Amino acid sequence: MKNFKFFLLPLIVLGIWGFQACTNLEVETTDSVLTPITGNTFAGDAGALLSSAYRNLNQFQDQDQVYSLTEHTTDEMIPPTRGTDWGDNGVWRTLHAHTWDATHNYILGSWNRLNGSIFLCNQVLASTMPAPTTQQIAEAKFLRAFYMFHVMDFWGKVPFRNISDGVDVNPRVLSRSEAFDFVEKDLTDALADLPALSPGGDATLATKASANALLAKLYLNKAVYKAANPAGPYTFDPADMTKVINHCDAVIAAGFTPDPDYFNIFKPTGTKETIFTANGNGGSPANRYHMTLHYDQSGWNGFTTLADFYNKFENGDQRKGKDGAKDGTANSGVGYGFLVGQQFTDSGTPITNSRDGKPLVYTPDVPLAGANTAQGIRVIKYHAGSYGKYIFLRFADVWLMKAEAQLRSGGDALTTVNTLRTVRGAAPLGSINESSMLDERGRELYWEGWRRNDQIRFGTFDDAWSYKSVTDPTKVLFPIPQQALDSNPNLRQNDGY
Amino acid sequence: MKFFHTLSKGGLLVALLLLSNFAMAQRIVKGTVTDSETGDALIGASVSVVGTTRGAATDIDGKYSIDVPAGSTQIRIAYTGYDEQVIVLGPSNTVDVSMKAAGVLEEVVVIGYGSIKKSDATGAVSNVTEKNFNKSMSVSAEQLIQGRAAGVVVTNNSGEPGGGINVRIRGTSSVRAGNNPLFVVDGVPLGGGETTGGSNIERIGSQAARNPLNFLNPADIASIDILKDASATAIYGSRGANGVVLITTKSGQSGKGLMEYGYTLGVSHIAKKFDLLDARSFVANWQALNPGADPITVNKGSETDWQDAITRTALTHTHNLSFGGGDKAGNYRFSLGYLDQDGIIKESGIKRLSGRLNANRKFWDDRLKLGTNLTVAQTLDAGAPITENAGYEGDAWLSALKGNPTWPTHNADGSLFQLKDATGGLINSEPNPLAMIELSDDATNSLRMLGNVNAEFQITKNLSFKTVLGFDRSLSSRKNAFSRDLSLGPAIAGKGRLFTTDLENNSNLWENYFTYNKNFGKVDFTGLLGYSYQKFDSKATRNTYAKFSTSDLSLMVNNASTAGLSSIVNSSYTVDELQSYFGRVNFGISDKYLLTATLRADGSTKFGPDNRYGYFPSAAVKWRISQETFCPDVFTDLGLRLGYGVTGNQEIPHDLYNARQRVGDSGIDADLNVFTGGVSNVSFQNPAIKWETTTQLNLGIDWGFWNSRLTGSIDLYKKNTQDMLVKQFAAQPSPGTFFWRNLDANIENTGVELGLNLVAVDGDKFDWRVLGNVSLNKNKVKSFKGILSTGAINGQGLSGAYAQRIEEGQPLFAFFLREFAGYDANGIQTYVGDLDKQIFVGKSPIPKVTAGLTNQFQFGNLDVSVFFTGQFGHYVYNNTANALFTAGSLGGGRNVTSDVPTSGESRLNAPEVSTRFLEKADFVRLQDVSLGYNLPLNSKNISSLRLFVNAQNLALFTGYSGLDPEVNINKQIDDIPSLGIDYSAYPRARTFSVGANVTF
Repeated sequence: MKNFKFFLLPLIVLGIWGFQACTNLEVETTDSVLTPITGNTFAGDAGALLSSAYRNLNQFQDQDQVYSLTEHTTDEMIPPTRGTDWGDNGVWRTLHAHTWDATHNYILGSWNRLNGSIFLCNQVLASTMPAPTTQQIAEAKFLRAFYMFHVMDFWGKVPFRNISDGVDVNPRVLSRSEAFDFVEKDLTDALADLPALSPGGDATLATKASANALLAKLYLNKAVYKAANPAGPYTFDPADMTKVINHCDAVIAAGFTPDPDYFNIFKPTGTKETIFTANGNGGSPANRYHMTLHYDQSGWNGFTTLADFYNKFENGDQRKGKDGAKDGTANSGVGYGFLVGQQFTDSGTPITNSRDGKPLVYTPDVPLAGANTAQGIRVIKYHAGSYGKYIFLRFADVWLMKAEAQLRSGGDALTTVNTLRTVRGAAPLGSINESSMLDERGRELYWEGWRRNDQIRFGTFDDAWSYKSVTDPTKVLFPIPQQALDSNPNLRQNDGY
Repeated sequence: MKFFHTLSKGGLLVALLLLSNFAMAQRIVKGTVTDSETGDALIGASVSVVGTTRGAATDIDGKYSIDVPAGSTQIRIAYTGYDEQVIVLGPSNTVDVSMKAAGVLEEVVVIGYGSIKKSDATGAVSNVTEKNFNKSMSVSAEQLIQGRAAGVVVTNNSGEPGGGINVRIRGTSSVRAGNNPLFVVDGVPLGGGETTGGSNIERIGSQAARNPLNFLNPADIASIDILKDASATAIYGSRGANGVVLITTKSGQSGKGLMEYGYTLGVSHIAKKFDLLDARSFVANWQALNPGADPITVNKGSETDWQDAITRTALTHTHNLSFGGGDKAGNYRFSLGYLDQDGIIKESGIKRLSGRLNANRKFWDDRLKLGTNLTVAQTLDAGAPITENAGYEGDAWLSALKGNPTWPTHNADGSLFQLKDATGGLINSEPNPLAMIELSDDATNSLRMLGNVNAEFQITKNLSFKTVLGFDRSLSSRKNAFSRDLSLGPAIAGKGRLFTTDLENNSNLWENYFTYNKNFGKVDFTGLLGYSYQKFDSKATRNTYAKFSTSDLSLMVNNASTAGLSSIVNSSYTVDELQSYFGRVNFGISDKYLLTATLRADGSTKFGPDNRYGYFPSAAVKWRISQETFCPDVFTDLGLRLGYGVTGNQEIPHDLYNARQRVGDSGIDADLNVFTGGVSNVSFQNPAIKWETTTQLNLGIDWGFWNSRLTGSIDLYKKNTQDMLVKQFAAQPSPGTFFWRNLDANIENTGVELGLNLVAVDGDKFDWRVLGNVSLNKNKVKSFKGILSTGAINGQGLSGAYAQRIEEGQPLFAFFLREFAGYDANGIQTYVGDLDKQIFVGKSPIPKVTAGLTNQFQFGNLDVSVFFTGQFGHYVYNNTANALFTAGSLGGGRNVTSDVPTSGESRLNAPEVSTRFLEKADFVRLQDVSLGYNLPLNSKNISSLRLFVNAQNLALFTGYSGLDPEVNINKQIDDIPSLGIDYSAYPRARTFSVGANVTF
């Protein structure tokens, strides 16, 4: 073909053009927003990030992770392995037996969730697109303090990463004492700019009431966080106790009062006790009844309380519980508080255990392993029939913190405690000491996520009880997760692990 | 025509009558022998009459003339370098023969941007042609080569039609999901992503996406070449580390036009069932574990075999029609395929309609060649609710295994039986497996188009230029509905759920390359220089609907406003680009010394701005000792190969280097609370992230003995992965829990591969060929700081459990368990060591040895092929038994296998993850037995008719107590993949098929 030369030139040109770079390989950002970092600021949206920081609080509602660390490790909750159920690779048993190690799944998960939430708060504070408002800064600081309080409480040290720290920067590590100061400053800074909360108002937001309540908790535990040895002894400075009382009084002054109907606190109807709750976007308190109720009550037949803990309650104390209405409406067969003995359907007929064909009777004693399906007293606060938002801080906690601070600084704790006991229908105590103070906190706040914190402060966390024989004082701190140690050489493992 | 008419009306048996047309008087047959590719005459080809000593040779024009005695019906044509042909004589005395170049020694292998004579290949390349493909019904291309190539381990993840397939070439070399090789179809590299939606349904579990290669009709595939060592794969640079599979589709033949039609009917049934307790012994053994309990609690009075209730004898129909033709200037082939395969689990199956066109033509004195390849496939997958990680309630298969055998499948009124409590309320935790299947619907509709147009121009005698424009587009929509009538879990029962997933993937390719060929005296030189650009974009949208006012599955899907609540879960759209420059030089010196060197530079948007381009070099030499004078004549071939190269892996998510944020998933929880996602960080600012690098050293020997009757090759390799891309825990506090980084760690794979090809008997009436391959692989994680747990174990009481850990000094996916030491006096498990401490138990799920053995027999027109495959030296974790087959499960009213009541286990025992459920997974499978008969025909219209019967998965020899040890359920944790865990695997079928192929 003669005319092929006619085509040859364009083809070669085309070929050479083809060898030119078609693209500079700049990535197209099509389904996300670039948030470049400039110094200590970054192009984040403060409002959107703040809602994420709130959203992460909903993780506390799961029966595992953070909640499991606060409760299964204590004398008020036991996770019995029931044959083929709830073995779960020992993740529950080791918590209750105090035999966990640095590879424990929930210790790792809690570490990642809590610290990740702290970083989210850092991002709120560093955002420029738009930057946070004064109130948003205060909210972010409160939330950061709330998350960091837990990291400090669980592990005794807190890693910290600045916004400007790149991927290869190993976060610096705050000691427990430094972390305390950090949390204290965040809360103090936040307090002025947070909105006030009146009882019955929107407790899903950070408010002056929640900051005061958390400050009270912080100072109450200061002796623990500033102690030379994490396991104690702890020296409670009267000046700190005064601060506790002052912050409690600030909450009380806002009009919060105990609800005359104890289980009303956990319902969606109005109560004047609620100070700070999860907002429910991405989690629900439904886990709290699923995790304990038997299969034949639409539960997962899991966790129970211990007989010794149940025995701390006197009859007449509202908090011990009551039967369901059994009026045929959904879930009305399930009682409130401690469920013990024969269980009933919604129409009031006795339930037969579908697993073994015997009447479903909850019995107080329950071993940690090898339990049958009906052993153990179940505990209901958030009821399947009607549950409200999940509570982190409420009035009675604040009231009892005040009482404890009074006790630790020579004030009239007995009157304070008995005021609440009267509302709850319990007989007034004749006297009060540390032990009965801890018991009273247990009776009021059981299964609400504060027991580990309380037991450590009162020095009973390393005691032996029913099915827990380990009395190792180093267990007051969880181990730094192995994966965290591997990822940050600045972290040093806690003693005992 | 008459014959065709008869055939179409009267069926195939009539064709047998044509056999009587054989006997003819002595005659002279004449014809021309030509090259099928070029049409050139072949001079000196030998022509002989089968069964006699008569022979002739072709003259300078390729013509021959031969006397054929009475009674003889076949002539054989042979020519060096071409496939021998045996022609059945018809009534015509003129027989022109078109010969296809190939032959054992002159086999051509495709090596990427070109092909090369196998004897000149310097790298480790396996070539499997249609003749040696698995004969059984294959849904996808990988199944054609399963067990056929040394070093290539193809594992069907389960028995599900169209389900995922795991392909590992020379072991697993990274700690990510992206371990499959790069697939290149007729020059177009496929993207590594999924093309159909997976699913994740509360309380039922998640399902993997379907095999992305399902769109290719195996009947269209002519050959599959597997590039194994780095010197061969380095030309694919940052995508070559896991090996490259080059698929070449069939093209038209020169000569007269051909039309082919094939039909296969397959009948499948479950290959093995679990030996479960029947109704009577179930009740008796439950009572034994629950002394004093009233049996009425569990005894519902029926006798149901739940495995039978949800499985079926399933039929498969495949139709393949093609026509094609060609001449010296070009050829074309068009094909249509239809597959309708029912799964052995009710309601499941796959339907595929595919069309393919290959055409090319030469212009301007053959200087310009234009070509196109185009595939369009429509696939409809019907899924059963069988998942990877079902929890307590179980999925449909687990429910069939644990289902109480005293339940009826249906109530007296014909409605589905669903378990109720004493007060008549439905129990949502013990679903009827048949109800799960019938009250749900899972349909995935996919359309995929893959094609290219290419032009090759011979610029000068030595220089040519080729440009390829390729595209790959897939659309897929999955709709998964669960009726509110299904008593299962709090999210579905009484509420109903619909999940939809829509995916859209696009890839566009433009490649240009020059090829230069020249002979400089004793040196043959071939050079290649090219540029390639490929762009990938993918979109996904997921939605969920709840609180339905209807139970009608069709209405739920097609009138989704019957849902009271709906929520977009999320959507995504990402674009990635890959821009590459590549070159290759081949030197052949005196036909003895062969040298190949390649270099590819890959620029990818997957890599951070600090490392945009990766450079992947390789070099290899081959010494053809058989060309040396000192080499004994017994060797028809003897070659020594040595190659080294660097390849990469870039199968990581989009843009891991810019700090950016997305809003997380929204949804509807089980209590019908609608929740919205929060803003979250996608990644760190990490501009240094780059490809993972694999270096590989390969030493190979190729040989041919005894006139090439025994040929084979042996390869030794050492493969080392560095800069390992790992999704690891970030140092907290951090933008995300995980981030991707290049870790300073190594994964080493070492191995030996042996491929053998023996012509045991080469007679006139009887041929026997043996093809075998054996591979040994050893895998080790080196200098890795940290630990990664994977291999999630699911089921009752097994939340958070896992069975594998990746740690330095161990093979990948090493089992990390408790060492089971029997039961104590109370029937409680005991362990070597602490109850709550897991240890490495020295067992690995990676087979030490894999092997395949094919025997092919030919008796005249009858051929038989028997194919065995096996894997040895590895272990499988039986999660199904761990979750279901325990005394506690039986005591709680769930069915178990018949060995459980006498195992000595207490019903209060917690069956923690331990070596109790770790089993040897060695197996030998009689995978494929085929018998074919080519009818000798005497017809102008039909040139060949082949009838065949085939058995697939005919026998399995293994000690494994589960259904099949060849299993790999996705049990990843935090995107760290797992290997060798069996959990609710869709049961594998045994399939018998019959069929016919007719060529007109």
